[in-house]
Amino acid sequence: MKACPARNPNLAWREIDGEIMIISPEDSQVHELNETASWIWKHFDGTQSPDAIAARLAAAFDVEMETARQHIVELIEVLDKKRLIAVAAEEKN
Amino acid sequence: MWRGEQRALPSVRGLRTGGSELSAAELRPGLDRPLQISIGRVPLRLFIPEGGLLRRARRRYGDFSSTGGVGLPIRLYRKGDAAATGAFSYNLEGASLVLRSKGAEFRGVRHEYALDSLLRILLTVVLLPRRGFLLHAATVVRDGRAYVFAGRSGAGKSTVASLSPSGSVLTDEISLLRWTAGGWRAYGTPFWGEFRAAGQNAHYPLAGIYSLVQASEERLEFLSAKAALRCLLPCVLFFAPERRAHESLLHTLVDFAADVPSHRLHFRRNAAFWKGIAA
Repeated sequence: MKACPARNPNLAWREIDGEIMIISPEDSQVHELNETASWIWKHFDGTQSPDAIAARLAAAFDVEMETARQHIVELIEVLDKKRLIAVAAEEKN
Repeated sequence: MWRGEQRALPSVRGLRTGGSELSAAELRPGLDRPLQISIGRVPLRLFIPEGGLLRRARRRYGDFSSTGGVGLPIRLYRKGDAAATGAFSYNLEGASLVLRSKGAEFRGVRHEYALDSLLRILLTVVLLPRRGFLLHAATVVRDGRAYVFAGRSGAGKSTVASLSPSGSVLTDEISLLRWTAGGWRAYGTPFWGEFRAAGQNAHYPLAGIYSLVQASEERLEFLSAKAALRCLLPCVLFFAPERRAHESLLHTLVDFAADVPSHRLHFRRNAAFWKGIAA
């Protein structure tokens, strides 16, 4: 996977007790992420591919690359469906 | 990984409708001499052109009157046909609020309840940069400190107020909380609910916040900052649609949740809950 996920810039979010809480002004919904999802969320800056984030996650949490990748793919799917992120155009390299 | 937890922030809640209509031909005494009030240390000058509404407003906000000639001007117009352009605007059942750089305009206000509702909405915006917010909560003062009992409609706010000693209730419906003078303080508001004797114009340092849960026994459960924020969010009055406003609110609430001791209060709708709090 090369497309770079980016947080929806219209959201308000804040970390509390190591976990991310997100408010969507559009529909006033509050969303919460657990610790792992919060770590990944902070890397959804539109410049890093899922594979690059997976490599960092695997190193940071001492998990297999494939497990890390699965976590990220799953989270992208959920957050994209909820319009909390957008998946940017694929990287050229 | 995803918890699937979603909660809606309330939009317009606890706002009254109805009330007595104004007569069409009233004097315009409020144009020259505005009604000056201060709520939560936010000075406001209300220019009310219609005598009937002005009289009711004086009665309703009398305990919150102030002097000094300063404050955010709020001009009322009976007609509601102005273009809604400004830093913030909101429409509510035929009435509207527009906040501009030089003050606010309320249009289409036909009775005191609409005025009350627009004032609440305006305050949520004006308080935001002042590290303040309005919360659906009753506040009771004990030994010089404010105990804030938060909950949505039916949670027991008025019950808590009615079970508290006379004169100790700061508000039974809408609490104004803000950071001032190096700490979080609770301010009385004129926005009352069922307990109509409430609405003291006073402020006290916060002892703690208690999220109300009706239960078969009294129990006090300490909440982490995150759990406290989770309880607070549905009780916050907030109307601004912009991301920056939400960011500002979230910033204030996270600080508040980290600073103020927070609890979930399971109670049986009797005065025994004070024993658990005092212990």
